[in-house]
Amino acid sequence: MIGLLTVIIFLPAVAGLVTLLWGRKDAKMARVLGLGSAAAVFILSMTVLGLYSYGIPGFQMTERADWASSFGMNYVVAIDGISLPLLLIATSLTLLATAGSWDLIKEREPEYYALLLLLETGIIGVFTSLNLILFYVFWEIVLVPMFFLIGIWGGPRKKYASMKFLIFTYVGSVFMLFGFLALYSWTRSPSFDYSDLATRVPNLSVPLQLAAAIAIFIGFAVKLPIVPFHTWLPDAHVEAPAPVSVLLAGLLLKMGGYGLIRFNLALFPGANSILWPYFAAIGLITMVYGASVAIVQQDLKRMIALTSINHMGYVLLGAFTAVAIGTTIGVSGAVFQMFTHALAIGCLFLMSGYIHEHAGTRNIDELHGLRGKMPQTVTLLILASMAAMAVPGLANFISEYQVIQGALTANYIFILSIVAPALTVGYFLWMLRRVVMTPGEGTRSELHLHSLLILAAFLVPLFILGAYPGPLLNNVINPAVSRLMHPIFAPGGP
Amino acid sequence: MSLLDFAPFFSLAVFGLAVTPAGLFREQKMRIGLAPILGLLGLGVTLATTVWLGFRVNTTVTSPPPVISTDLFTYFFTGVLVTVAIFVGIASLTFMKGDRNEAPYFGLLLLSTLGMIVLAASLDLILLYVGWELMSIPTYALTAIRKKDPNSNEAAMKFFVLSALSSALIVYAISLVFGVTGSTNLVTIASSLSTIGTDTRAFGVLAIVLFIVGFGVKMAVVPFHMWIPDAFEGAPTTIGAFLAAGAKMAAFAAAFRVFIIGMSLFHVDWYSTFAIVAVVTMTLGNVAALIQKSFTRLLAYSSIAQAAYILIALATPTNTAGVPVGRPGGLFHVLNYSILKTAAFIAAAAVATRLPIITLDSFNGLSRRMPQTSLNIAILFLGLAGVPPLSGFFSKAILFTGALYSPFSWGGYLAIAALINSGFSMGYYGWLIKRMYFDEPSETSRLPEPRGYMTVLWIASALTLIIGIYPQPWIQLSQAAAAALMRNIPVPTP
Repeated sequence: MIGLLTVIIFLPAVAGLVTLLWGRKDAKMARVLGLGSAAAVFILSMTVLGLYSYGIPGFQMTERADWASSFGMNYVVAIDGISLPLLLIATSLTLLATAGSWDLIKEREPEYYALLLLLETGIIGVFTSLNLILFYVFWEIVLVPMFFLIGIWGGPRKKYASMKFLIFTYVGSVFMLFGFLALYSWTRSPSFDYSDLATRVPNLSVPLQLAAAIAIFIGFAVKLPIVPFHTWLPDAHVEAPAPVSVLLAGLLLKMGGYGLIRFNLALFPGANSILWPYFAAIGLITMVYGASVAIVQQDLKRMIALTSINHMGYVLLGAFTAVAIGTTIGVSGAVFQMFTHALAIGCLFLMSGYIHEHAGTRNIDELHGLRGKMPQTVTLLILASMAAMAVPGLANFISEYQVIQGALTANYIFILSIVAPALTVGYFLWMLRRVVMTPGEGTRSELHLHSLLILAAFLVPLFILGAYPGPLLNNVINPAVSRLMHPIFAPGGP
Repeated sequence: MSLLDFAPFFSLAVFGLAVTPAGLFREQKMRIGLAPILGLLGLGVTLATTVWLGFRVNTTVTSPPPVISTDLFTYFFTGVLVTVAIFVGIASLTFMKGDRNEAPYFGLLLLSTLGMIVLAASLDLILLYVGWELMSIPTYALTAIRKKDPNSNEAAMKFFVLSALSSALIVYAISLVFGVTGSTNLVTIASSLSTIGTDTRAFGVLAIVLFIVGFGVKMAVVPFHMWIPDAFEGAPTTIGAFLAAGAKMAAFAAAFRVFIIGMSLFHVDWYSTFAIVAVVTMTLGNVAALIQKSFTRLLAYSSIAQAAYILIALATPTNTAGVPVGRPGGLFHVLNYSILKTAAFIAAAAVATRLPIITLDSFNGLSRRMPQTSLNIAILFLGLAGVPPLSGFFSKAILFTGALYSPFSWGGYLAIAALINSGFSMGYYGWLIKRMYFDEPSETSRLPEPRGYMTVLWIASALTLIIGIYPQPWIQLSQAAAAALMRNIPVPTP
């Protein structure tokens, strides 16, 4: 059965090809086609939101087709409460990033929009596919366009950054592939389907579970990223053009988080009961390390990049402390955190691109007096920083609160995790003090209205969900998370 | 078994013998000479009959076992090797244009291909040796076809000496096997070796060692790989393609026949030998490829590494459940590797028309000078690196699953070693793509891209993509071919 999800997955790639061929002679046409396709995909994803049955725990809108069944590869896509928020983030962030590219990308536009749309296909595919090989195929489809996007349109050190990104994530994903192939072989599974493996893997002996779990973890951890596999991230984020950074931080990192929750957390109850303290500790270290390193950054964009490391540590911490306690609050916090972080960080990255374009620098010390030049942008910078700092009233607060509460329930030692938000508040306030709370200088040269609206669009959902997170948490995320965690709390498998 | 089943052999023999005399009829008005037309026609007829016969093949095990087998395994290799020859032939239309040795060149190409398919078809060691020599001798002449070029001569000399050595070792191995078993037929040999006495066992082991070395020279496994980079670099580039994809794969066909049928019941653990050789070979190939400065040498080392993946098929026996996963994977990789590698060499020939390929600096910014060639090299290299959804990924995945399915306890380590190598190989594949797309060229003028080469490149890239997007029929073909091969294994007599 081929339906709506398949259309959403493959429409961007097809539209990308059209953009490339049709836009070759006319850059304006490429821009229009790129934005139009992204908007069409976004509207289709909104129909998914309309058709979704809320409060139902399992997978919905499943589409299944024969692909290469003689090697266990089937085409299976579906969504549940974990993938739905990420699907929406993927389509909306791509739309906003495409819109943001109009002002920021000036060369080789047909290729740029084509690659951006191909990237979207890969990302949506990752969030929806339920066959491990299909998942891997989409996972790798993401890699190639991103390599070119950084390498061609990036900043001064783009070659180094793109190669580093390629090698790190490719080697990571090779380990992940080992894990997938191992699960298929060791369980003698008839296929790579998630449903087949979810029933078989928990019965695998613990040493084999450990081997596969660690291999798969490496793949996702490089993408998330965790310390010490994070070094590709600051380079890639800083060198990538701002709209690409939005996707990199907003979506690519979420692929790692999604994989950890969907595969590592759900498939390996036996291994996780041994591994969770280590994973949670890595998460904690990643949070604190990311925040500490962010303090000393001079480059605004680099600081934001390191904020991502800090914030993705929450996902790891929240997901794996849940193994110990038997409640789902940490996991649902982790899923929610991916959603909120994508919007906050997307806004900040795009803004840093605009500021760089207008002010000519991203150096925090040189940006003093910015409110003289761009008062409205500065207002948005304050709001986006509040979101990243997780100020109560914004959705980010709720997700971080859930994660830390889950961690504290697991073990009091995780009280240490409270250091990370404190540091985050510290460096954001210090940045704001240097950029915003200095006397205004220079003549006014504000961003265009449409740019301001794009930036504001990132923040609106955060305010709404910050005030009223109930529908998303109770009807979408929590039922799916409870079902995902079921085999973990009930020994003996589902 | 009717005479019709041998149509590909007759077609190659007849056309092969007719091509050289056809060169005497020079028609000045024709753009393409009579000899190349006849040569390509012969290859086309062969491919068409092979495909036709492949669809209607029904293998029955006859007793006494035949000398030559026309099963699906034969047709599979015939199809692959003739495709390689066609690619080389089309590229040679441009490459050999105006050369006075054009007619013998095409004649030798066809006769060497005939030798290869005889090699793949033979179930008898004497016939196998005839095929081996029929394949090898024309390639010596082809390597030296530019007789004024000292590099070509040096390459031919090096190639000849080592090939002659390998032939001698194979003859010695054949004589030992005959001495031990009293037969040259592989099926009979397999039954006799299963009940071999302790007094003659050592000779059997020696024969295995000699076969591994003899085939190993052509398969380019470490430590018999030294001639490969020199020969590929010195030989005319199209012949490099023919050696790397054609001769090498034919040697694999012979090794499959001899080991999987002939040695199947011999209680000697040659599987572990192949596993060790595979790991050493792929590691050396990848590490050496990383430090090459010349494009053809890089291709040569990458072909050494790629061939080592196919060795996994020889290292994995059928598992306890009787599921042979590795062997179909090996055949599938033979197919994918042949297409990718032939085309990669032909891309080298295309670049070499204008730029020195002795240095990788020629590739800096090539995407602006030769956009078609660059795009195709990028696709082919990503295919060789194993990035989905390109064909190379799927065959590697099946091969590595085969290793994991292995009844030996080291299967998992073999798989992880191969996967890490696969990740590592992205270092040089990605690096070259970086050079072509991100680096600045020394000149920016557009260079002409010969149409003959481009035809092959586009066909190969399209095949890579088609096989990758819908691998099912190709996986089934490989499985059926592997099954046809193993149908000849006699039932063990207790």
